[in-house]
Amino acid sequence: MHSFGHRANAVATFAVTILAAMCFAASFSDHFNSPSPTASVKILNINWFQKEANGNDEVSMTLNISADLSSLFTWNTKQVFVFVAAEYETPQNALNQVSLWDGIIPSKEHAKFLIHTTNKYRFIDQGSNLKGKDFNLTMHWHIMPKTGKMFADKIVMTGYRLPEQYR
Amino acid sequence: MDWQGQKLAEMLMQLLLVASAVAAFVVGYAMADFQLMLLVYAGGVVLTALVTVPNWPFFNRHPLKWLDAAEADRHPRPQVSATPSTVGKKKAGKNK
Repeated sequence: MHSFGHRANAVATFAVTILAAMCFAASFSDHFNSPSPTASVKILNINWFQKEANGNDEVSMTLNISADLSSLFTWNTKQVFVFVAAEYETPQNALNQVSLWDGIIPSKEHAKFLIHTTNKYRFIDQGSNLKGKDFNLTMHWHIMPKTGKMFADKIVMTGYRLPEQYR
Repeated sequence: MDWQGQKLAEMLMQLLLVASAVAAFVVGYAMADFQLMLLVYAGGVVLTALVTVPNWPFFNRHPLKWLDAAEADRHPRPQVSATPSTVGKKKAGKNK
């Protein structure tokens, strides 16, 4: 600490060490947030439902997605990635997940939304298992913080069923 | 900067940085604004640097009192007669 350079160096290194501690504390403060998100997805229409030439079933549907994820946002939240997946069971696989729609929510103001859309990504089964299939629509989200740990959670919505016949 | 000044500078640096970090976190958390926390802390770091880095006069209130040069002449160092070559090889002082 006897020269200008030594003191400047000491201030810089200690300041950055404390900055790391502050980031840790900010990340830790996320644990005190207990969010209460809501979500609902309505299937307005099955646009078409067919077997492709290679034998895989494919569905096109119109969805009405509404959610209020604003309680997920804290002061340490950079953005939230959200996606809706169709989840169902087949004889081959206990869990099939097909992402139908996704989005990035940049701020708390945009976290309450209602979206009317056809499925953004194709809903194709690896096989021909979709006729009359019961499935869940699950809203998954990943909270991307400014510093620290990423959190993920989901809301499972049950009771959806595909038609018995292709159309 | 004298010895007491260095001790004071280090203490001031740690105190100011920790205090500004705590203040920044409290303000940022209360206002739910991450950027505000960083700005408050950056201000604290700049203030700390301004206070502790330059060689301010209040770091020099305890100057070292050296003996008068005449004292050394009156009490010469004992000479080692067997190995006279080592005498006078003392490293130069680092004090600025």
